[in-house]
Amino acid sequence: MDFLFQGFLQAFKLLLTGDPETYSAVAATVTVSSYAMAVSLLMGIPLGFALGHFRFPGRRAVRLVVDTMLSLPTVFVGLMVYALISRQGPLGQMGLLFTLPGIAIGQTLLALPVVIALGATTVESMDANLRTMLISLGAGRRQLLLGILWEARHGLVEAGLTAYGRVMTEVGIAMMVGGNIKWHTRTITTAIALETSKGMFAMGIALGMVLLLIAFFTTSAASLIKRK
Amino acid sequence: MPLYELKNIAHQYNGHLALSIDHWVLESGRITGLSGPNGSGKSTLLKLLGFVERPTSGQIFLNGRKTVPFDAVVRETVALLPQATFLLKRSVYHNVEYGLRLRGLSRLTDNRVREAMSLVGLDFDHFAHRPWYALSGGEAHRVALAARLALRPKVLLLDEPTTSVDAASAQHIKSATLYAHQQWGSSVVIVSHEHQWLHEISHEILYLFQGKLLGSGHRTLLFGPWLPADDRKVYMLLIGEQRFEAPHPPPEAIHQVAAIAAIDLSILPHDNVMVPAPGRLQGTLTSMSLERITGRIHATVGMGSVVFHVVVPPEIFNRGGFTPGSAVWISYQPDDVVWY
Repeated sequence: MDFLFQGFLQAFKLLLTGDPETYSAVAATVTVSSYAMAVSLLMGIPLGFALGHFRFPGRRAVRLVVDTMLSLPTVFVGLMVYALISRQGPLGQMGLLFTLPGIAIGQTLLALPVVIALGATTVESMDANLRTMLISLGAGRRQLLLGILWEARHGLVEAGLTAYGRVMTEVGIAMMVGGNIKWHTRTITTAIALETSKGMFAMGIALGMVLLLIAFFTTSAASLIKRK
Repeated sequence: MPLYELKNIAHQYNGHLALSIDHWVLESGRITGLSGPNGSGKSTLLKLLGFVERPTSGQIFLNGRKTVPFDAVVRETVALLPQATFLLKRSVYHNVEYGLRLRGLSRLTDNRVREAMSLVGLDFDHFAHRPWYALSGGEAHRVALAARLALRPKVLLLDEPTTSVDAASAQHIKSATLYAHQQWGSSVVIVSHEHQWLHEISHEILYLFQGKLLGSGHRTLLFGPWLPADDRKVYMLLIGEQRFEAPHPPPEAIHQVAAIAAIDLSILPHDNVMVPAPGRLQGTLTSMSLERITGRIHATVGMGSVVFHVVVPPEIFNRGGFTPGSAVWISYQPDDVVWY
């Protein structure tokens, strides 16, 4: 059990001394997850709203596909993205393999179904009387949509947080698409996997604690938004 | 020019026809009551008049112009208070001012909110900053009405506004409704089962049944069971072995529900020497209310589980003998019975 204690001690040491390798992994993680979440939220919230609010032919089939994609294995997404952006793939000439944008593409595919599915569920579960109330007070189409979105904001923030959790903790995509290249595409999770395989548990625990700290700050920021 | 004109309206929910109106005109500047049993289409009609829903087929004209949901004229003219109270998760003040902001009337907010809250009997200092969850059911409903009144709407549509609120809240809602009509000239359409209030306030009461507008005035609905009688008639057994006789229902009367309009029933005090006869029934006068606009008296006469709605002309009423609880005669012509 001593290595656990040593791990916690080392975590504080790495963070407080500004260990460049640790901060490189932190920077890579924050960068790819920010890209992935930005795209997922920008695309996922409107799509989730549309899926939850509007009734259109084939809606159930779309919902089934999105719900199924909630269970996407990260290694499978990694494999698909690898196939797409490797030299023989259709996007091979873009040079995205073993880059942070390459990882971000894979993580977007992971987060997007979460935002869409949970966003749609949130909008679906809104009280039907909200729509009647907004129209009866004189809301136009745009005001109606914005009004429902605003009232659904807590659920949408939760959807974003859940997706963020998936993105932050995945290893498969970062490992396969990023290649775990030191100073370049090594993220916190791939670094943990590497350190553990080398028997460096303390370093792994230290990086795990950093991951938890990032999650804590993100959740705190989200709860501030929800409180408004 | 009529306020509303409905043409060939049909509205369905999941294939079930909830409302069917071939042609109907509603004049401006009046208070109109909508009455009828549950499921008769009253709330559906109100939603269509409020342009909350688009009819499955047919056209609605507002002030002579064909109108659909989200048209600018609707947003500036009509306010609907639905039966189910729904407040935003905000303070009372922000709930009441919400509609003003939606309509771009923010400059009027403070005065309008104060006025609307005062109309529904909510003290501004006590309630304005109270959150939505700290309100009783009656208070929440009054806040919802205040949000509509703050708009000073030209058309105010109220769906069961006094249902499930206490007497004090109901009184505030009734006063505020009358104020909107008298001070701002609002046309008001009210769906309510509170007959007495409808009679007091309405210029006209329209009766709906099974999604159809049957016309002006109350109806008594008789659901049977119907038993065969002589001379191609049927009858329904009432209290005291009395028979309500009606012509044999036509084959197209699917549900075999008989209706007789209040105006087609005559009423006499029991001290008039009469004997039971076809088309003549004895019951107990259970309530009376004044139709403020017409000056007539609307009475209900109970016969066991059946309550007949009767209109009493002033000249008959003035002869005396009508006090709630007293025995009365009512009479009708079987040919006036309508089948559905």
